[in-house]
Amino acid sequence: MAEVRLDNITKSFGGVTIIPQLNLLVPDGSFTVLVGPSGCGKSTLLRLIAGLETPTAGNVLIGGRNVTEAEPSQREISMVFQSYALFPHMTVAQNIDFGLRLQKMPKAEREARVAHAAKILALETYLDRKPSQLSGGQRQRVAIGRSIVRNPKVFLLDEPLSNLDAALRGQMRIELAQLHRSLGSTMIYVTHDQVEAMTLADQIVVMNGGRIEQIGPPMELYDRPASEFVAAFIGSPKMNLLPGRSIGRQDVRTAGIRPEHIRVDGSSGQWHARTEVVETLGADTIAYMSAEGIDSVTVRLPGHMRLKVGDKLFLTPEPANLHLFDERGQRIEARA
Amino acid sequence: MTRSNILREIIRVGFLCIVASFVLGPLAATVLGGFKSNTEIQTSALSLPEIWRFDIYADILSDPGFWRYLGNSLIISVATVVLTLLVGSAAAYVFAQVRFFGSKMLFSYLSLGLMFPFATAILPLFVQVRDLGLLDTYWAVILPQTAFGLSLAILLFRTFFSELPKELFEAAYVEGCSYIRFFWQFTLPLSTPILATVGVFVFVQSWNNFLLPLVVLNSREAFTWPLGMMQYRGEFSVEWNRTLAFVTLTILPAVVFFVAAQKYIVAGLTGGAVKG
Repeated sequence: MAEVRLDNITKSFGGVTIIPQLNLLVPDGSFTVLVGPSGCGKSTLLRLIAGLETPTAGNVLIGGRNVTEAEPSQREISMVFQSYALFPHMTVAQNIDFGLRLQKMPKAEREARVAHAAKILALETYLDRKPSQLSGGQRQRVAIGRSIVRNPKVFLLDEPLSNLDAALRGQMRIELAQLHRSLGSTMIYVTHDQVEAMTLADQIVVMNGGRIEQIGPPMELYDRPASEFVAAFIGSPKMNLLPGRSIGRQDVRTAGIRPEHIRVDGSSGQWHARTEVVETLGADTIAYMSAEGIDSVTVRLPGHMRLKVGDKLFLTPEPANLHLFDERGQRIEARA
Repeated sequence: MTRSNILREIIRVGFLCIVASFVLGPLAATVLGGFKSNTEIQTSALSLPEIWRFDIYADILSDPGFWRYLGNSLIISVATVVLTLLVGSAAAYVFAQVRFFGSKMLFSYLSLGLMFPFATAILPLFVQVRDLGLLDTYWAVILPQTAFGLSLAILLFRTFFSELPKELFEAAYVEGCSYIRFFWQFTLPLSTPILATVGVFVFVQSWNNFLLPLVVLNSREAFTWPLGMMQYRGEFSVEWNRTLAFVTLTILPAVVFFVAAQKYIVAGLTGGAVKG
């Protein structure tokens, strides 16, 4: 186990700077998720930690040791790739113990570690199969198994669930969380899926254009987004970002209100709105409405609430849950 | 099936038969020629023999010279294939995997070899081989053949290697695998289709090579089969039936080699070898 520290990391490809001067501390034993839209530099950051890319400037420290110039295999990390990167001509067992064979570990110990990893990941019956004979979820487990057996200090996971279908993704998410709890190692996980970020992380790092927008526990980001970008990125359905004048505040550019923080009433309220689209999710009903003076507002309602397209209602944002942003898109502490 | 479909099918099969006959016609004439007398070959080359003469094939098979030529050809061809595959794949691996200054220029320079006609190099080659003291040895044929086969081999290997998923290398690299180990443990085992394809090309080319052995091999002991075949050409007459029987027997290994490697070539064309 070890903390990961990035000191003034800069990465440029040719003349293009992907990551300009970034500092980050990943605490020992934490599950840190790097999240952001495509091209925001999160995968590059992970590859810098892994040693697959060399920083243009700055240092990478793992467990207090400067590993900026060290080979990936000497960093005591392991990495799980988006495409699994399983070795197609080797069996599951050979895939898992490949790194151990390179370390010239005695056969008995290797076998014991593979057996242990296979047990944790429920792969015992597949050890003699080739990757092509496995399902997507099983392949992902093999990739994780390959990481576990080396007892790394830090696990790096690069969008490991994005190739799986929705049901399997949900299941693997739970398995990953359990794995983190049982191993207790530091995990750095890259995803563009904010649901994965929210459900798995102790600490979320929201990235945008190579910079860190905000770092914090999931609920802090949810409750107190530091910028418009974070507000829009975290939470599903997205936060409503409305012009300040819609709540009678000319001094703020944008007012954010989450769909579940809007009260709905049939007779009175702040905005008069018409229902445009209704999504029934069972536990919740999501209504997309158009209000006077505002383009559209998304509202989360209890699942049993029956709404029809064209229904007219009054909406009122809860003042305590309003998020206000200035001209630069930065948070303004709300005046209640 | 509609009428136009039937017509299209007939045209297709007919066309394929014509194309196949270009290969099978001469092959059949060669095989059958070995059973005929010289007169019969000259009067009716494509017909079945009037009298089937098995003695010509039997004579050749019982001649120790034939087996020696065949052995020489086999040693030279196999050595050429092994050397071309080793050197070509190693060079192509560097071009595909490592970014270094001048790699594009060096690669273009190597590819230029594709345009270089072998026959024009024959005299300087002879001088070089003689100076190295390799005349009348297998190496006199193996080394130049390998050198001339490398352009195509590197071109084909590089294309194939660069299509192997990058993550495979990165995953192995993170585990502590070196470039050289990756080459032996991953690149080569995952490239059997292209290794087979290049191997077949090189083998067949070496097996049928006539000009280079003619120039650099003088002793009968070192002759390859195309040179051995020349023993049936006298100053005043050519023993066509013996020549054809000899050719039939000597092309058999090349055909067998091709059939054996065909599975891998087809596998390479249909893909899926790497996707795990």
